[in-house]
Amino acid sequence: MFRKDLSEVARNWEVMAPMILLPVIISVLIPAIVALVPDSMNGSSGGNILDTILPNLPEDVRLKLSPLPEGLQVMYVMLVYYFAPFFLIIPLMVSSVISSDSFAGEKERKTIEALLAAPFTDSELLMGKILVAFAPSVGVTLLGFTLYTVMVDVLTLGRFGFLLLPNLTWLVMILCLAPATSLLGIGATVIISSRVKGFREAQQLSALMVVPVLALLFGQASGFLVLGPTVLLVLTALVLVVDAALFGVGVSLFNREKILSQSH
Amino acid sequence: MESIVAEGLTKRFNGLTAVDGLSFKVEQGEIFGLLGPNGAGKTTTIRMLASLIRPTEGNAYVGGFSVRDDALRVREIIGILTENPSLYERLSAQENLDFFARAYGVDEAATRSGRIRELLEFFDLWDRRGDRAGTFSKGMKQKLALARALVHQPSILYLDEPTSGLDPKSAKDIRDLMERLSQREGQTILLSTHRLEDAERLCDRVMIINRGAAVSVASPRELRQRATGAHVVRVGLREATEALIRAAEAAEGVKAVEVKDGVLSITLAGEGYTPGLVRGLVEAGGSVMYVAPLEVSLEEAYLKVIGGK
Repeated sequence: MFRKDLSEVARNWEVMAPMILLPVIISVLIPAIVALVPDSMNGSSGGNILDTILPNLPEDVRLKLSPLPEGLQVMYVMLVYYFAPFFLIIPLMVSSVISSDSFAGEKERKTIEALLAAPFTDSELLMGKILVAFAPSVGVTLLGFTLYTVMVDVLTLGRFGFLLLPNLTWLVMILCLAPATSLLGIGATVIISSRVKGFREAQQLSALMVVPVLALLFGQASGFLVLGPTVLLVLTALVLVVDAALFGVGVSLFNREKILSQSH
Repeated sequence: MESIVAEGLTKRFNGLTAVDGLSFKVEQGEIFGLLGPNGAGKTTTIRMLASLIRPTEGNAYVGGFSVRDDALRVREIIGILTENPSLYERLSAQENLDFFARAYGVDEAATRSGRIRELLEFFDLWDRRGDRAGTFSKGMKQKLALARALVHQPSILYLDEPTSGLDPKSAKDIRDLMERLSQREGQTILLSTHRLEDAERLCDRVMIINRGAAVSVASPRELRQRATGAHVVRVGLREATEALIRAAEAAEGVKAVEVKDGVLSITLAGEGYTPGLVRGLVEAGGSVMYVAPLEVSLEEAYLKVIGGK
């Protein structure tokens, strides 16, 4: 089922487009703009970023940044801290889009009846569908992170004299929080898909899951929190608890009869 | 040996009874038809028998497995052609069949590919095997969906409107296939159809359902006879003389004789009196050209049974 769903996803531009565009925008365009337009970092907005985030950064980072000109300090803060939450949007959106297509899309396209009639257990069906959303979303996130790291280091090494990425914070985020966030998107979509009839409806509602990530972004921008390894591990644990709750509800809502009645 | 045994199968949706206490048995190798108007409960019955939905009351045993308690085993031994073709339109014909063959446990690659080729060739889809199912015509999709139902060589087949959307040649091929599967390979077929000519030609017995309840279970011929009421035969004679009419009236078991355009319509007390009647006419000097039972068509019988006529 994993292979079948993956083949279907690969041939659906409505799913593939966000899977390709989102990482390209976040991993390539954003660092390119920030790194290639350093003058834009010197204005009052740059000063604001330093005022709010810099004091909260770890001591060793502040010491490392102190000899640098303000423009490079702002660039560092933006590339290493400010944009980090964007990389949680990738697993969230990719997993939501794929699982919307996989769960609600099967109902919409009326392919679900033959699938439900096949000798799969409920858990096999659910696991297959979850895996097909989880694996690509984590894969795309890793790929995006690799691309972002290469872009950032290639574009900034000459100015900073050291590699900005990867660092422990990013590794914890990409290897721990991002997979947990992917499961969050899938769990929410499983529940949403059990209530709606179509792929687009499920996708639109799943997009609301971006709100907590935006909260992280604004939290960091306002100086309320800084995403360090400890904070990220705590967040991972919290998200995993929410994941478990969502999947518990999702499994209890998985009802073949209801799914069939909604597909007609 | 019974392939399907339904005992008081009932399904209610939000208080509305869709299927009401159906009880019937289908023998191995039998083609059993489900007939009924739209909304009669045919699809719901098939879904319960496929363990797709759970009966509200009653139970059914498919290949000896309970649809309530052994849902997975039931799904393993049946092949189902659903109301919608339910094909993955972004996948090719071959990929569709390959997925379902694996799902039904056809694990050996050579067996799987051989079976898929056999089916695609039979349904004239081999040349289009690499094309996406979404590019197929309605008839081709129906054939591919039927191939999917057969891919694991199930012992029991549920077919919901199998000839729907097919051209006459393809429909005939499907009917021939169903006959072959039933007669030569001993597969049991539960056929839900609106096409009474399919039911007439294929089904050993049919069950007419109306508003969820079984109205009648019989062979198509019995249904026609029941609808006709009395047993009437038409006897064509070279010349219908008065002497021959009297001879017919005098024959054992004859209740009434009518003559129209030189053909006798004779009402008998039963089918078994036909040879005696013919013998009497021949002994009276008549030249019997033909003897044919007079029955209503299955369509007329069906309409009578469900109260449409």
